[in-house]
Amino acid sequence: MTSQAAPLERFAYDNAIVRNFAYATALWGVVGMLVGLLIALQLVFPALNFGIPETTFGRLRPLHTNAVIFAFVGNGIYMGVYYSLQRLLKTRMYSDFLSKFNFWGWQAIIVAAAITLPLGITSSHEYAELEWPIDLAIAVVWIAFGINLFGTILKRREEHLYVAIWFYIATWVTVTILHVFNNLEIPVSLWKSYPAFAGVQDALVQWWYGHNAVAFFLTTPYLGLMYYYLPKAANRPVFSYRLSIIHFWALIFIYIWAGPHHLLYTSLPDWAQSLGMVFSLMLIAPSWGGMLNGLLTLRGAWDKVRSDPVLKMMVVAVTAYGMSTFEGPMMSIKAYNAITHYTDITIGHVHVGALGWNGMLTFGVMYWLVPKLFNTKLYSVKLANAHFWLGTMAILFYAIPLYWAGFTQSLMWKQFTPDGFLVYGNFLETVTQIIPMYLIRALGGAMFLGGIFLMIYNLIKTARQGSLDANEWVEAPGRVKHVAAEGEHWHRWIENKPLTMLVGATIVIMIGGLAEILPMAIIDENVPKIASVQPYTPLELEGRDIYIREGCVGCHSQMIRPFRSETERYGQYSKSGEFIYDRPFLWGSKRTGPDLHRVGGKYPDSWHYNHMLEPEIMSPGSIMPPYPWLITDDLDTTSTAAKIRVLQMLNTPYPEGFDQIAVQDLKKQAAGIAESLRKDGIETERLEDKEIVALIAYLQRLGTDIKVKKERADK
Amino acid sequence: MYKYILQSVENLNWLAIIPMLIFMTIFLLSSYRILRRQRSFVDKMAALPLEELQSTEKKA
Repeated sequence: MTSQAAPLERFAYDNAIVRNFAYATALWGVVGMLVGLLIALQLVFPALNFGIPETTFGRLRPLHTNAVIFAFVGNGIYMGVYYSLQRLLKTRMYSDFLSKFNFWGWQAIIVAAAITLPLGITSSHEYAELEWPIDLAIAVVWIAFGINLFGTILKRREEHLYVAIWFYIATWVTVTILHVFNNLEIPVSLWKSYPAFAGVQDALVQWWYGHNAVAFFLTTPYLGLMYYYLPKAANRPVFSYRLSIIHFWALIFIYIWAGPHHLLYTSLPDWAQSLGMVFSLMLIAPSWGGMLNGLLTLRGAWDKVRSDPVLKMMVVAVTAYGMSTFEGPMMSIKAYNAITHYTDITIGHVHVGALGWNGMLTFGVMYWLVPKLFNTKLYSVKLANAHFWLGTMAILFYAIPLYWAGFTQSLMWKQFTPDGFLVYGNFLETVTQIIPMYLIRALGGAMFLGGIFLMIYNLIKTARQGSLDANEWVEAPGRVKHVAAEGEHWHRWIENKPLTMLVGATIVIMIGGLAEILPMAIIDENVPKIASVQPYTPLELEGRDIYIREGCVGCHSQMIRPFRSETERYGQYSKSGEFIYDRPFLWGSKRTGPDLHRVGGKYPDSWHYNHMLEPEIMSPGSIMPPYPWLITDDLDTTSTAAKIRVLQMLNTPYPEGFDQIAVQDLKKQAAGIAESLRKDGIETERLEDKEIVALIAYLQRLGTDIKVKKERADK
Repeated sequence: MYKYILQSVENLNWLAIIPMLIFMTIFLLSSYRILRRQRSFVDKMAALPLEELQSTEKKA
């Protein structure tokens, strides 16, 4: 290697953009967690749904998850990256315009999400609910961020890329690929689309995305932040730089395979489930390697942890990372997953990650960063310590009751009498049992939110007592081009060439994605067809879209696992061939209410009508919100024909020209259901035109294709 | 016993074996290269976040 001294160059760090992202992080943190608190309380006090569509649980839950993941953590990533990248590379960001475009574009996307999700505009893919125009906007802003990121790397004054930047690169490339594949959809109208994949394939792609949204949005960028800010706060280098490199390659390779652990015991082929389980178990090694590297960075500095709230928060964050990355692999073991899946254990698990890892690391970084940006000291260390204790206790108050609730409910679901009957045959009994736990969880959420208010007050006072150096002028020697010496290691070559690194990281993460998804997409035997399974009628299709709009999938699964406790309760276990026309799939990931896959034909039409109008009338003690607007609102059939055409494009076997008669067919079926409702004494005017009729048509269809076949065989 | 092991090998899916091999290759290669690095280089990299540039006065 050769290097020569270069003349000093003056340049300014862009601190204003870091401050903007810090403000946005705090603002959206409050919004996301307020919505979270509201929906937590709705599970205890259903009246808080307020009887209006925009404030019901099903529509607000995706708003909460999107706001916390993409608004709070998303802005936290940008805040952390924009500060550390400039310093690690000794240069200003590549383009001030792109920085501002990234900032305002991202905020506009968040506002669009905050408007559309309560309006019921959703694709229903978890953590990818936003509809196609917003998906396109996300792609544009993310690419702008990528150009700015790589532009900055290319004009750097520091020859070598620190490991944090590797994590940033892997984040960018993987999120780009995940976003594109999981949002392959064909628009029906401006705010409605159907996904390119159906049923099992859709489920696999979605959870390949969903899990890696956790991996590459909530984890890898935050690991990058950990590797930069923890050494900064502790004022000592990372414990083992070597371990951080091994951590990086092992983590990004393994993570991408783990998605199928969200689909254990479902209709996904066994080989895919096993692959997901094995790689999930392997994940514990790099994850704990990273955690230990973080904690051991504090060797010899633990005395500082006693007094410094920044370090305290970072220690809790890294510990929570260790906790959740231990839980994750355990929950991927099929035997344990049989207990935890669909229960509140999952919710507790993700919140250890979200509140502990992402939340506390964000707070730690902000307490460290804001005084630096404003050239001052933290206004109140005492308040920050109070925030630390409030936040830490909040995590315990949040997670422990949910673990308790999850185990309780799961065991109740599976309990049989000595005669072989379900002890708790009524699902509702297993819900009312755990409502006190939901109340304590809401208290935990309120405490965590209270801590954020303390932080905001503290940081505002800090900012006011200092002054922002929007352009921080510094000087550094210009970059000296690295000349490889003979026999120099290839890894060093990669490290000095970020674009090569980008390609390498892309190949590594693509291997897992392709190996799992391609066989599912191209080998027919993976999804055996069932002759009696037919496409939805136009009315059922409209009903299904109402089900999607109202976010029913947030509380009701449509996937009966092959356990006796489930087949006794719900009926035959679900088969992959039953979902081939499901765009999107609606298997769900949580059962706050019972599974609905075989609900068709279980109750009369009038039961569903009354249940949607006022659930408590039909199920006393139910925490399901009422849906009175389904009774009063007319069904919109203006895009029915277009929906049929799009589904035909996607190979759904409707007869040619069916789009022309779809509305006619819809009205005929609606008239039949209205007639059945009238027979049961329901006298609403123009009943056949109402949304409720479409929803009833869909619910009565669910899971009946196989039942029909059985009846035919009996005859 | 060997007979049973060899018989069961036929049922192993290549999808399970290939990724394992690729992972082990990537893991071993990255471990080997980084562990062979010179101490001075590793220390320099580890200390990168701690470097602070000299602040200068604002540009006129």
